[in-house]
Amino acid sequence: MTATTDAAVLERVTKRYDSLTAVGHLSLRIRQGALFGLLGPNGAGKTTTLRMLMRILIPDEGSIQVLGEPLSEQAQDRIGYLPEERGLYPRMQVRKLLVFLGALKGLPESEANRRARDWLERLQLADWSEKKVIDLSKGMQQKVQFIAAVIHRPPLLILDEPFTGLDPINAVVLKDIMLELREQGSTIILSTHRMEQVEMMCDSICLINQGQNILHGELQAIKKAYGKNTVRIECSGDGDFLKQMPGLIQSVNHFGAVVEAKLRPGADPQEILKAAVDRGVRIMRFELMEPPLNDIFIERVSDAHA
Amino acid sequence: MRKLWLIVKREYVTRVRTKGFVIATVGVPVFSIGLFAFAIFMATRETDHTLKLVILDSSGGLGARVTQGLNYKLANGQPEFSVVKIVEQPGSDERAREELRSEVSNGQLDGYLLIPGEVAKGGPAEFHTKNPGDFGVNEHIGRAVSDAVIAQRLHDRGLQIENVSEVVQGVELKLVKVTKQGEAEEKGQTFLVALVLAFILYTTLVMYGVSTMRSVLEEKTTRIVEVLLSTAKPFHLMAGKIVGVAAVGLTQYLIWTLTAALLATYGAAMASAFRPGASFPRFHIPASLLAYFVVFFLCGYFLYASLFAAIGASSSNEQDAQQLQWPVMLPIICSMVMFNLVLRDPNSTASVALSLVPFFAPILMTLRLSAQTPPSWQIGLSIALTAVTTVGVVYFSARIYRVGVLMYGKRPSVVELVRWLRYS
Repeated sequence: MTATTDAAVLERVTKRYDSLTAVGHLSLRIRQGALFGLLGPNGAGKTTTLRMLMRILIPDEGSIQVLGEPLSEQAQDRIGYLPEERGLYPRMQVRKLLVFLGALKGLPESEANRRARDWLERLQLADWSEKKVIDLSKGMQQKVQFIAAVIHRPPLLILDEPFTGLDPINAVVLKDIMLELREQGSTIILSTHRMEQVEMMCDSICLINQGQNILHGELQAIKKAYGKNTVRIECSGDGDFLKQMPGLIQSVNHFGAVVEAKLRPGADPQEILKAAVDRGVRIMRFELMEPPLNDIFIERVSDAHA
Repeated sequence: MRKLWLIVKREYVTRVRTKGFVIATVGVPVFSIGLFAFAIFMATRETDHTLKLVILDSSGGLGARVTQGLNYKLANGQPEFSVVKIVEQPGSDERAREELRSEVSNGQLDGYLLIPGEVAKGGPAEFHTKNPGDFGVNEHIGRAVSDAVIAQRLHDRGLQIENVSEVVQGVELKLVKVTKQGEAEEKGQTFLVALVLAFILYTTLVMYGVSTMRSVLEEKTTRIVEVLLSTAKPFHLMAGKIVGVAAVGLTQYLIWTLTAALLATYGAAMASAFRPGASFPRFHIPASLLAYFVVFFLCGYFLYASLFAAIGASSSNEQDAQQLQWPVMLPIICSMVMFNLVLRDPNSTASVALSLVPFFAPILMTLRLSAQTPPSWQIGLSIALTAVTTVGVVYFSARIYRVGVLMYGKRPSVVELVRWLRYS
């Protein structure tokens, strides 16, 4: 693959703050058109990495290429950014603020104005467009922030925790727009703690911990490497019987209505099913599956700390 | 450059549209003119009725002369004073006063004048009244007593004088300021011009400096700064803020100056209609002084505003900012403290040295320039030093700004600020 088909390439990027190394020799490739999940525990260096991609911070070492060229002010205009901490001028009118931010990204003001109206209409904020930001609810402000990130139709979109503060209905609206933007060819980098969203939306991921890349690749390939070593069971009772099979089961994870059990290598899932039937447990659902991303995340991070 | 322009424009437009701007722009002059007018009105207000006085005369004969001297007329043609009676050589001073005091307090009398025996040797006369704050009345009474005493002294030396005022009339000393351009009569304009220019500098540096600081801090605490940094250079953000706030300030000054000019023209026209031939002090500010003022104004503004911006960027809340702003406020305040020192002797070693220090130069050099034109090399050196310092300070402030706006938490120490300068 040549650099032109990568939306972003980080080459041994390092950022230090005095004695603290926030990001250390991080190398990363993000394919064009990918919906890329950047994962990591708190303080792993995700925000620092995104800020360097956005050219808000300058790396101490290493190089960054975005959309086939080294980072520059021009390249910056082709990226959309939704920061983790929301930032809008509280006393500005919603539409005027969007026009200002769109114009800063290089749109003519009339075009920015037109697009702001369209987006506000689409996200059901048309009635609020002449109101001050401070008068909007948190969820509405979040949608305004999202519009600010996409108003200039960036080929690369960086979203840091985009679903925070959104109710399920608006979360779905936002997710649909993200998928639509990807359909249109945008590359999206999504940084979040919500594994189920990454699992459902992203096609490739990178897991970083303490500023290091500890897992990186296509999500399907990563999961496949772990194999189908997990059973998800929905049954009567609390699934206590699973604890009586230490030879078969390595660990159990209760979710209330559902139990997930990680099998020991070579264990036959059929034997678990049999044991359940023998004990008179009623099975509503029995599924053999790849490990959830959440488990992979926890396992990798705790391995890294061990 | 387009981005810088957009940032300046947003800053300017949102500020000018606030209620605060309108209130400050209209309110400050209205309030200060109102206060000024009120003070003048109160000070010059004439009493509208004849004041009834009693003179207690222990001097032997001065009472009649004083009464003659109190021949002032009110605006309505009535006499200003009416001496009800003159008590010569009161038997019991204490008892006479007691009576008069009660008459004054119940309004029968407006006051009584005490002329003691030793007044001819320089002892004080006393005027007892309910309202000792009427300067016009006090001046008239004082003059009448003085004239009477002087006439008495002359009489004792064998000179018979009818109109004492004519004899003791003093001589006015006209002050003429010599400059390279020629000579101009001085009626306190030098001091006034110096005061006004220094005051404009002082208020602008402090007011708009703090305003810049607040604005940077607000962008930081509302986190909008990260969104802006994702599209614009930190230097453009800082510069845009400083220029935007400056433009707001200039707009305000422009409005005030135009209003003042209009009022002055109108006022002069009104006054000459009522009192033809009335003279007004003409303020002639040389063009060179104005040009230097603009240079020092700009240097000083960018010097201090960028420091204030760096402080806003390094703070995480208003309290931190207020503590950090003191080291920056100090030189501005010091400049004003040294106002008199410099104006009294603009060419003393201290004045020259202080006016070369970049942080003092904007205000102190302007003072020296308005007092008397300093040697060219001093002006040049002062401008050069200030300009170089300003460029340096803007550079370092921008570096602190860039790091500071993304740092949250405790107030940074000086060591940390220095470390920030080195971040790439």
